[in-house]
Amino acid sequence: MSRSGVIALAICTAVLLVLPWIIGNEFYVNMASQVLIYALFALSINMMLGYGGMVSLGHAGYLGIAGYACILATTAGYDQLTAAIFAVALSTAAAALFGVLSLRAPGLGFIMITLALGQIVWGIAYRANELTGGDNGIRHPARPMPFGIDIRDAPSFYYFTLVVFAIALFCIWRFSRSPFGASLMGTRDQPRRMRMLGHNVWLVRFLTFVMAGFWGSVAGVLYVYYNLFLSPHAISLQQSAEILLMAILGGASTLTGPIVGAAIITLVKNVVSSYVERWNTLLGVIFVVVIVFMPYGLVPGCKQLWARLSSRKNRKVAGATASEPAQ
Amino acid sequence: MSSPALEVSGLNKRFGGLPATRNVSLSVMPGERRLIIGPNGAGKTTLFNLVTGDLTADAGSVKLFGRELLGMRTQDRVHLGLARTYQILTLFPREPLVHNVVLSLLGLDARRWNPWSILTRNRDLYDNARAALERVGLGDSADRIVHETSYGERRRLELAMALAHKPKVLLLDEPLAGLSQGERQTVRALLDTIPRDVTIVMIEHDMDTALGFAERITLLHYGEVIVEGTRAEVVADPRTREVYLGD
Repeated sequence: MSRSGVIALAICTAVLLVLPWIIGNEFYVNMASQVLIYALFALSINMMLGYGGMVSLGHAGYLGIAGYACILATTAGYDQLTAAIFAVALSTAAAALFGVLSLRAPGLGFIMITLALGQIVWGIAYRANELTGGDNGIRHPARPMPFGIDIRDAPSFYYFTLVVFAIALFCIWRFSRSPFGASLMGTRDQPRRMRMLGHNVWLVRFLTFVMAGFWGSVAGVLYVYYNLFLSPHAISLQQSAEILLMAILGGASTLTGPIVGAAIITLVKNVVSSYVERWNTLLGVIFVVVIVFMPYGLVPGCKQLWARLSSRKNRKVAGATASEPAQ
Repeated sequence: MSSPALEVSGLNKRFGGLPATRNVSLSVMPGERRLIIGPNGAGKTTLFNLVTGDLTADAGSVKLFGRELLGMRTQDRVHLGLARTYQILTLFPREPLVHNVVLSLLGLDARRWNPWSILTRNRDLYDNARAALERVGLGDSADRIVHETSYGERRRLELAMALAHKPKVLLLDEPLAGLSQGERQTVRALLDTIPRDVTIVMIEHDMDTALGFAERITLLHYGEVIVEGTRAEVVADPRTREVYLGD
């Protein structure tokens, strides 16, 4: 990592650590937790989207499977840790099945199959009244007590989420810099060539699909801990689309893009909606403006802008000091 | 007599009603340099695609050192020692040259499954990749981005990526296409440095440069093998003239 990168990381870590004190207000601390949870969703979908070029519209399915499994296991009397592990394992296994099904088709077919699978999960949640409470949803009994620490109040839940998020971010960062990550990006750009270089393109994509499903499931369990409630509305197509938009808005194929996108969309949804009635329109406008001016998303766009501005400044300085004209 | 490195027999492929490969049989001995010629649309690249598995054959057999390749996945054929370059450059344009070769090396390295280690810390991979680039005369350009390099350099990168695998059988699809006369000589000289334990099958239009390279030549026309033999035999054959000059 470059020196400026280390400094930026240190500043971000410091800000995230003291955030509850800066904010103070419980409503906004909860908002921060929500941003982190959605950022994890967006990061996980971006493993497929940004690095693998696979557009999925079924990511909320993992929230559904992991979420309902966690609630049902806990209500059935299992302890929280067992319930969480069971939920993530079940949902990751479902990701493996979904992967086998959707990776049969490339491109548009892939999108449509993931969409259909997500809708199946939604449909089951909606119809299986006895299990999921149908449209009314079901409650999660209580937040867990990891290592005996009480995370019921907003700041401590925020820190709990932050720890999980940091672990996930570190793993996904390693993933993006790893040989496997490089192979994945290769299969995104030149699948035919990658096969001819000895890579198993299908398996690379499949494993990525499962890993993305795993982190999506972890985010799903966090979501249930945060809301202590889950209903089919939370796992609708709109949810999947929003997660996808977060990654695209911030900049897929960058590590930080999905986090930025998640923060913007979550804030607009929750904060702006209390002032502006047509917040959905505002979200649409933001999205259109970003895509028009920064087609690769906010993070790469801002980087480019910054590079252009600083090179212009340098040129001015160079022009003032040097006798030769700047090129 | 030893068994052939590459043996194609009775190979057929149709695209809809159009036969692209008709009952093609050829056998290339270990260490041989084979040239495949033929007018546009003769099925030369299709033949390569059938051998590598980019296309599925309708009928026939392709054997690499006696092992049947048809029905095998492309990447498994590569692991048996098959490598190719593309007529239309198929590279990773936004990456440095060295990264392109590293991806090539990873294809045969178990580390490609590792999602945890940092790629750039695998020094040996990068050393090998640089050595492969050195071999094709791109040692000084290793850190340049592909889309900033010249066409000739990209052609050589294609070659470096294939050679990095230390293949047993190398398929070269028009390695001289689009190059200037000077670059042709450079690449041609480069091909001469490839050791004889690599069997080479090459498609090439530039007869002046290619003829001297190959011992045996196969002429394809409308998907069929029309003439096969030594350089002199094929050049002297009236059917070669007919195909190339018309009658």
